[in-house]
Amino acid sequence: MVTSEVYKKEFDVIIIGGGATGAGTARDCALRGLSVLLVERFDYSTGATGRNHGLMHSGARYAVTDGESASECISENMTLRRIARHCVEETDGLFITLPEDDLQYQQTFVESCQRSGIRADIISPDEARHIEPAVNPDLIGAVRVPDASIDPFRLTIANLLDARLHGAETLNYHEVEGLIINQDRVQGVKLINKTNGEHVEVRGRVIVNAAGIWGQRIVQMAGAKISMFPARGALLIFGHRVNQMVINRCRKPANADILVPDDTVCVIGTTSDRIPIETVDDMRVTREEVDVLLKEGIKLAPSLATTRVIRAYAGVRPLVASDDDPSGRSISRGIVCLDHAKRDGIEGFITITGGKMMTYRLMAEIATNAVCAKLGNNVECVTALQPLPGSEEDAPSQSDTTKRYSFGQRAAIGRHGSLAARIEKDNDIDNALVCECEGVTVGEIKYAVHQLHVHNLVNLRRRTRLGMGTCQGKLCSCRAASLLGELNHDVKRAQDDLADFLDERWKGMRPVAWGDTLREAQLTAAIYQGLCGLDSVVNRQGKEDVQ
Amino acid sequence: MADKMQLCNISENNFEQCTKCTICTTVCPVAAVSTDYPGPKQAGPDGERYRLKDNAYYDKVLKLCLNCKRCEVVCPSGVHIADIIQHARMSATKGHRASLRDTMLANTDLLGTMANLVAPVANAALGLKPTKLVMDSIMSIDKHRTFPAYSRIKFETWFKRHAASTQDAMPHHVSYFHGCYVNYNFPKLGQDFVKLMNAVGYGVHLLDKEQCCGVALIANGLYKQATRQARTNAASIGKAVKVDHRTVLTTSSTCTLNLRDEYPALLNVDTSDVRDSIMLATRFIYNLVDEGKINLVFKQDYKRRIAYHTACHMQRLGWQLYSIEMLRMIPGIDLQVLDQECCGISGTYGFKKENYERSQTIGSILFNHIAQAQVEAVATDCETCKWQIEMSTGLAVENPVSILADALDVEATRKANNLIS
Amino acid sequence: MRTDTIIMGGGLSGLACGIALAKRGQRVTIVASGQSTLLFNGGSMELLGNIDGQVITSPLDAISTLPHDHPYSKIGTSRISSLASEAQGLLADAGISMEGTATTNHWRITPMGVAKPAWLTLSENIRIDELDKLPAKRVALMCIRGFFDQPNGMLAHGLRQLGFDVQMVEFTTDDITALRRSPSEMRAASIAKHLMSNNALQRVADQINKLAADADMVLLPSVLGLTDESHFKALQDMVHKPLRLIATLSPAVAGSRMQSALRHYFQMLGGNYLMGDTVVGGNLEGDKLLTVTTAKLGDMPLRANNFVLATGSFVSRGLMANYERVYEPIFDLDVDADGDREQWTRFGIMDPQAYSRYGVATDSGLHCLKHGKPIGNLYAIGSVLSGHDAIKMGDGTGVSLLTALAVAQDILSGNK
Repeated sequence: MVTSEVYKKEFDVIIIGGGATGAGTARDCALRGLSVLLVERFDYSTGATGRNHGLMHSGARYAVTDGESASECISENMTLRRIARHCVEETDGLFITLPEDDLQYQQTFVESCQRSGIRADIISPDEARHIEPAVNPDLIGAVRVPDASIDPFRLTIANLLDARLHGAETLNYHEVEGLIINQDRVQGVKLINKTNGEHVEVRGRVIVNAAGIWGQRIVQMAGAKISMFPARGALLIFGHRVNQMVINRCRKPANADILVPDDTVCVIGTTSDRIPIETVDDMRVTREEVDVLLKEGIKLAPSLATTRVIRAYAGVRPLVASDDDPSGRSISRGIVCLDHAKRDGIEGFITITGGKMMTYRLMAEIATNAVCAKLGNNVECVTALQPLPGSEEDAPSQSDTTKRYSFGQRAAIGRHGSLAARIEKDNDIDNALVCECEGVTVGEIKYAVHQLHVHNLVNLRRRTRLGMGTCQGKLCSCRAASLLGELNHDVKRAQDDLADFLDERWKGMRPVAWGDTLREAQLTAAIYQGLCGLDSVVNRQGKEDVQ
Repeated sequence: MADKMQLCNISENNFEQCTKCTICTTVCPVAAVSTDYPGPKQAGPDGERYRLKDNAYYDKVLKLCLNCKRCEVVCPSGVHIADIIQHARMSATKGHRASLRDTMLANTDLLGTMANLVAPVANAALGLKPTKLVMDSIMSIDKHRTFPAYSRIKFETWFKRHAASTQDAMPHHVSYFHGCYVNYNFPKLGQDFVKLMNAVGYGVHLLDKEQCCGVALIANGLYKQATRQARTNAASIGKAVKVDHRTVLTTSSTCTLNLRDEYPALLNVDTSDVRDSIMLATRFIYNLVDEGKINLVFKQDYKRRIAYHTACHMQRLGWQLYSIEMLRMIPGIDLQVLDQECCGISGTYGFKKENYERSQTIGSILFNHIAQAQVEAVATDCETCKWQIEMSTGLAVENPVSILADALDVEATRKANNLIS
Repeated sequence: MRTDTIIMGGGLSGLACGIALAKRGQRVTIVASGQSTLLFNGGSMELLGNIDGQVITSPLDAISTLPHDHPYSKIGTSRISSLASEAQGLLADAGISMEGTATTNHWRITPMGVAKPAWLTLSENIRIDELDKLPAKRVALMCIRGFFDQPNGMLAHGLRQLGFDVQMVEFTTDDITALRRSPSEMRAASIAKHLMSNNALQRVADQINKLAADADMVLLPSVLGLTDESHFKALQDMVHKPLRLIATLSPAVAGSRMQSALRHYFQMLGGNYLMGDTVVGGNLEGDKLLTVTTAKLGDMPLRANNFVLATGSFVSRGLMANYERVYEPIFDLDVDADGDREQWTRFGIMDPQAYSRYGVATDSGLHCLKHGKPIGNLYAIGSVLSGHDAIKMGDGTGVSLLTALAVAQDILSGNK
């Protein structure tokens, strides 16, 4: 459906927020036969969804302190292995005890895991060093748990694809400016189309607020109040995988105690700081955060001390204060679903928040149940049973060595599962690599542009990993920008887009710009500014960060 | 620990120091002629990140890498690109059996021993058309190739008969790792080496036990055998250096690189305690001259125009300076230093039928340069370059040691070094 | 081993210095740890292009206004003009024919179609002397099918902004099409390797003559002439219209050619060029450097009367930065750089970055400093010098050439 048609339609449900929760809710609602619109102010997965570890918890991390979250995690963990195979890598994880930690905690930890139904096997330090050579060799204890790594960008897109497959409409770069409220009922959303500045109103019978930390504003638009406590976490990306398993510290959760192998890189995090709600859009990583992450990170895997850091980033987790204690002393880390009719007397409005990226499906199920209750829909939830597009049981695997795939084809199967079959690969030009670090071909870019809602290079990066390798877009961004310019018939926009993309990459490199990362930055500047003169035709002064 | 945080960035074979500048691919001789080969950057550091994630990303076309190491030489970031590729090949081909052809070409030692016994027959047979056709069709050795001729007498045999007895009387001593080529194909180079060393007062000694350095075994994926031979050689060299206190000299750049750098890097055979005592003869002699310890006197009437070709492995060693400066010491030589280009043969690579055409295309830039230089002969420190350049240009190709020995006024030199009065 | 001068770094600056010295009979050894950033050069040299965002038209005049710590100021502005003509002559002697003058900048055209001020440009590259007098009106922009290292759309857009009437012509030949079978290796340099025979060039010429018949001038991406300009000349003879090349993304053919021409010339003059080796340390006695040691020559150090540091900036690892500091890795020389890591960079990628101006500290004679004292026979030249900004000022290649020649003169006069 073209966008102008979407504006005219009235939907059963309008979901605000294109993170994993929003996308999952759109999918669930669509699968239950509702007519669905999802709106997102920037690109999909720009918020907390795309700004975490990419860790698929086993739940072990929460077992001691929060048994309920732990049980949710292990149950969702097992579900995602089935339904989102192409987004998940079954790495398993270790919880290690270092000499400075209390080995007694290990016992408590294992018992708590067992109580929550999480398999936790104590293994000897020798075995831990053997199965994960990167682990700190000084460890005195280790427990193996079913942690895994998950790609949140892929996961979100797969949910959106399935939602659309079942009739849902999705609009990115549409920001909610207000709600249409009639007496005590929310009846729709007032939107601005950020690509052209157009203001529109779209009507829906139920509105679901899945806007994460930004959901506090949405609640205010409805005339209600919610106390969110933004918890900011910073993370560092290293240039390659040093570890093959998730490595955690076996102690009470603290700063920088998880190292996750994510695709071709590994990620250490996070810090945890309560920040004022006004600053949630400032994602700059500070020097202090970098220091803490490195200092603690090398305790998990000492080789991080000399491994190149390619980026730093931060995300904000939406923690919600209990209604009976708005001071924030008692903060829930669990899933919060608010029916504002019961809570505030506002009809047709539901907020789903809290939780974790990896429990998105359960959150979506809870939210959809609430929607269905309002709409009188009795269809059962099937999202835990039905594989996401790309993850069907017979989907090809990037690890299949019996097939002779090219580098680009194999990487594409890793990213898109069975949907990689839709990528054109019949001629030499489609097979040509644009991003050489991550194996992104011309065909894959065309597929992403035509089918995965790509407006700019940053979107393209989230769909494909273009520019996410060690050179951070130096070689590929010009090629990709040219290609987008061609596909969109807009060269000038492509040039601006290129500058925006390089700037977005630089923002993550800057906090860690030393060593080889600084060399890379200088070479990038020499190519795009010195050789090409991009800086004299594009003005980025005062421009907001591209999302 | 915190005070050592991020002071330098290191990774295995420096693969992550790659800034994707892509300079390596501009000099790769294989990528230039084969679209199947993804080029050193893709095959090396780029591929490595994916292979770390999943071994399924290993691509069989990595076999096409010549291991010429030109990529490593031009890399501004110090990435050991060829080593990354070799390591990937090694971990992927573990357990695979090499073909008869690969085994035969790789076993320069075994093939040499057999051929020496029947050299005239072997030479004739290897040169004969029907034999070549058989090799071409059954064994996939290209029929255009002239196999290096086998000598009737092995160098080792010559040495024992004609030289060994006089060596102990010399005031100084060195050991000699002669390599397969000198032993089986071209004993004259070994003889020239002995002549040169003896003229300046150095006695030459063979190692207790010398086996083929194994470079061809590595290139053909016969890693187990290569490791066995490396251990034998390392033990012999160890004894020569640590017990006999002799420097171990060589006349082949490829053997030298293999003994010094590839043993530890690829085969896990540690030669670090003797590495500094293994060197090319030209480096050793240059240093003696430079320090004023010996004097060389050359024939008055020796006049030649020669071009020096830096073999790929010589460039990787970084020692072409010594061979060039030694040649420049000969007053009668007009020396042209050629721009460094690969000759295309890369050990046994160019012998294989599937690589013949590619190998000749790679070499054509060099052959043109040689033609333009208008020289009588080409000097190089690598025996496989010698085969390739001789076959492709018709010019004689000589090792600098042979040229030095040839140009040397032996009597005058011995006098100048007070060996005779 | 003893030579007159050892140069650490084999890029534009090191080679220019080596050539100037070898021409006057010095024995010179260059130690080059890999190829240089010259390979990212599209075929132009810049003396001075911008000051504080203002485009410079008369570089010689503007140079006299530069601050004291700029390398040009250290050389002495009175020497700039003669050094600039010496540089142009040296390039020509090496077989690199470039056009332009030091008194007035012309405009080079970048791979994105931007006009940037330049001092010298390769004769076969397109060049604009005055923006209101274009060398041709109707140009055919030849776009090679499947070649991604030339952003054709942006290039055409840029050329149109400059006033050209641009016809975009996509073409290919069998030689070029075959290259695209490789998913990664269709680059300017690989195309150039396939366009080395007259037959291959003729096939390109046939396409140009067929498809660009209406144009006043034909623009072809710079995918010709890795070794010399003969391939360009051969193609020009086959094409019925004036032909000009336009720089591609790197590694650039023009830069590769300039690098190998300079190196070839240096070796012809008897210089030793040690490619792929790195100086790892030296023996410093008082204010004099006696020897340097390289990674590959190992226990046989190189001796010389004079030493020149031409190791480049961060990219070339002439400067290094770690978590704590910016330093010069061979001798730990004094550097002009901020101590606090947060000062090294600026928030926006297009902002002038402080690190661009970092470099080794030198006295007015370009002698390197250690603990504040000059080392009498160790000079620094080129990008390793502090006080200039190749990216924002457009003075990188000029500083490389002119400091190299100035130091060569000083070394030679010191020897007299």
